[in-house]
Amino acid sequence: MAGGMDLGTGGKGGKKPLDTQINLVPFIDLMAVTISFLIMTAVWTSIGRLQVANSGASAEPASPTEDKTPPISLLITEKELRLSAGTQTFDPIPVTRGPTNKIELEKLKDKFKELKTQLPDASTITLQAEDGIRYEDLVRIIDECKGDGLPNVSVAAAMG
Amino acid sequence: MAIEVPGKRWGKRLQHSKVFGHGGGHGKKQTYADLLITPLVDMFVIIVLFLIANFSATGEVLMMSRDIQLPEAFNVTDIEIAPVVMVSNTDIMVSGNVIGRVEDLTKDDYLNIPALEEKLREMKKQYEDLHALAKDTEGSFKGDVNIQAHRDVQFKVMKRVLYSCATAGYTNLNFAVLQKGSGAVGEPSTATGSP
Repeated sequence: MAGGMDLGTGGKGGKKPLDTQINLVPFIDLMAVTISFLIMTAVWTSIGRLQVANSGASAEPASPTEDKTPPISLLITEKELRLSAGTQTFDPIPVTRGPTNKIELEKLKDKFKELKTQLPDASTITLQAEDGIRYEDLVRIIDECKGDGLPNVSVAAAMG
Repeated sequence: MAIEVPGKRWGKRLQHSKVFGHGGGHGKKQTYADLLITPLVDMFVIIVLFLIANFSATGEVLMMSRDIQLPEAFNVTDIEIAPVVMVSNTDIMVSGNVIGRVEDLTKDDYLNIPALEEKLREMKKQYEDLHALAKDTEGSFKGDVNIQAHRDVQFKVMKRVLYSCATAGYTNLNFAVLQKGSGAVGEPSTATGSP
């Protein structure tokens, strides 16, 4: 076997056949090794991160940014969500849960849209959560903030 | 009765059999069978492409535990290697070592977790010493920490964890979440606020 190539019977007078046969055995070996390596190093769950800042234990909202955007804060209690921007306070949003016990955030999304129309440059929000808030609810609200144009999220504990 | 060549003689009912029916007078069948390589190679190529598409160069940053079910989120960025604080319903761990029990933390009203803070300070010092020893000026301490918490943990516990991280110098908090959909944020956001 000359490298998998059919060289014919030789001889100066005879015609060489044009068909060549590729030797697939090393190729299959390589594939098998590659598959084994990739399966061993594969990560089956895609995990991401939500970057936040910690505003400490105080309920003091984040300092206003240089463009004089009023500080936006969202108070998260077990019963309602209270959004405020500087001195302006929006109507509280009652917390409702879906069939899987997940907090529903459609109304909060609408409030954020309203807020963004008033303050298009706003990008920072401080979330003040009460002690009884579940981590999953907090994460969902952070996710909602980032999705609605407020990527700089800081977390603080609610006072009182 | 005709004289027959010695050898195997199959019964009449096996004369039309694919296996036994060709013996005797039909000539010898080739014993070699060609293996079809083309579909095998095709399958291998598809598997390799699929696995390469799923390949993650960072590997598994987090150690997945049965006690910790991560929440889901859409607007996430890729996770990076950093110290991991794991918070389950029962324990708080740093890089796999148990630091404290959640049950004990809920009893007192302190703001920080001294053991966690101490451990993180120690890790920070190790990191800085190592980079100073290697004279690595670019890899300065950024204060990144990954928080891997169970979805049902209350904020009462989480705020103590976050506060301890912040006082130990880890101000860039990254909540580990299961990526849902493909709504990844393009650039990692920088957060404001003082610890």
